[in-house]
Amino acid sequence: MIIYEKVSRSVDLRKFDGKRESGSFDIDYDKFILAGGKLIHLKNVTKIYEQNGVVALDDVTIDINAGEFVFLVGTSGSGKSTLMKLLMHEEIATSGEIFVDGRDVVRLSRKEVPYLRRSLGVIFQDHRLLEDKTVYENIAFAMQVIEAPNKTIKHSVEGVLDIVGLRDKAKSFPSQLSGGEQQRVAIARAIVNKPQIVIADEPTGNLDPNTSREIMDIFKRINDAGTTIIMATHDKDIVNRMQRRVIAIENGKIIRDQLRGRYAGGR
Amino acid sequence: MKFQTIQYYFHEVFVSMVRKRWMTFASIGTVAVSLFVLGVFLILIMNMTKMASSLESQVQISAYLVDGLTPENRAEVERMTRSLSTVAKVEYVTKEQALITLQERLGDQKKILDALGESNPLPNYFLVTVKKASDVRRTAAAIADLYGVEEVKYGQDVAANLFDLAHLIRVFGFILMLVLALATIFIISNTIRLTVFARRKEIAIMKYVGATDEFIRWPFVLEGMVLGFIGGSLSAIVLSSFYSAMSAKIYKTLAFFPLIEQTPFMIYLTFALIISGMAVGILGSTVSLKKFLEV
Repeated sequence: MIIYEKVSRSVDLRKFDGKRESGSFDIDYDKFILAGGKLIHLKNVTKIYEQNGVVALDDVTIDINAGEFVFLVGTSGSGKSTLMKLLMHEEIATSGEIFVDGRDVVRLSRKEVPYLRRSLGVIFQDHRLLEDKTVYENIAFAMQVIEAPNKTIKHSVEGVLDIVGLRDKAKSFPSQLSGGEQQRVAIARAIVNKPQIVIADEPTGNLDPNTSREIMDIFKRINDAGTTIIMATHDKDIVNRMQRRVIAIENGKIIRDQLRGRYAGGR
Repeated sequence: MKFQTIQYYFHEVFVSMVRKRWMTFASIGTVAVSLFVLGVFLILIMNMTKMASSLESQVQISAYLVDGLTPENRAEVERMTRSLSTVAKVEYVTKEQALITLQERLGDQKKILDALGESNPLPNYFLVTVKKASDVRRTAAAIADLYGVEEVKYGQDVAANLFDLAHLIRVFGFILMLVLALATIFIISNTIRLTVFARRKEIAIMKYVGATDEFIRWPFVLEGMVLGFIGGSLSAIVLSSFYSAMSAKIYKTLAFFPLIEQTPFMIYLTFALIISGMAVGILGSTVSLKKFLEV
């Protein structure tokens, strides 16, 4: 419960000092309306990779509201990862419209990309922590590089360490941590800049069931505090237990979109 | 840009340079050597140009007389020379006077003349001053045709040769500099590339959390600048001490040699070398970053 309060406080903070971070939270209201008032809006999105002509996404339309918890399920190569890359502007859609947090992602200029990414927290299966930095430094790094003021860094990093329950490991190096602990650090890093949306690509992919459950509890708490979560996963157990929205993708097409879904269709 | 950010940049540059110190050392060395060579060429070219111009502005012609010329013939040469409309002044210098002048010029080293013993190999000559520098060539040709004149010498002759030589050195130096500059850019860009490669994970994370391109780029550009700055400074220090040692030696032994004064010249040169070093450094890092930052 204490942890939950900390999360909500950090969310409230975002509202107050949104202007501070170079307009990263300024929403363009015209685009917000274009996006149908949705936090994430994809319309007829198709992605064809130029190098090999593979159709990764085929006429995909998805709307996601602020505060939703969405699972993306599907086999490897189904198009889940491409979808996430499109949201982050790591890849650009061949056709269609994508709006994220009031930003027209398809027509985004190179200069605006960093500000889009500040509203997205990204977590990968392989954690991607810096081995020569401590837990604390790994998290603080994400704030330093967007030029957050030094005095707020300490406060924010300690706050997210509490959320993921790693305050006592602040001075450890990633190699001294278990896989689950490393993933917690990655989560802390993803949320330290208070993004609207957290994107997680197979965050429990390398973890045992118990640890996976602990990690999912953290995600649930973050979501309860108001942050939208989009998670790609293969983990049936997790999806079935959480009972959240499930979008199933197969061969680049959405084959199922259920509000209280399960990993496999039916029932 | 925030002060905090500038601190971060310098910290990054310092850590990176220390971490791959051998590459840093090699880069600084390359910059220093290249700029040192550039400096040597600049000094050579500028001094030769100065010498050539000072020689050219001399409007005096030396008309050396055949040894054992009779006084009558000598008087005839003098009369004919004075009759030329371009001539302002004619002065007769005997071989004895020429020897004394030479001894004075040699200063401390006049002892080498002792080797001559009693003989004096210097010729008698007329020192002819013309009214205008542009007439020197024509006048000299006219005097050379007179009976009893063995040889005519004037500054332009030497000056023309010096100008030719300076031009040659300039062309050669330019080509050499181009090659060295390219090599330096290559070495620096490789050094920066190593940093970028070592930091590719950090760069990827920076991009994911929304660092701007400028923020990511600056430490690398700064590293190139610092490498160039240190290299340039080193070459300037070495060159300055070389030049001061050399000009001291030259003033002592060849006092009449018109070297460029050290004080403003070496300061300009130092600035030029440091700025070139930094420019090459920035260029080198920009070249290597172009490929790597497109994430």
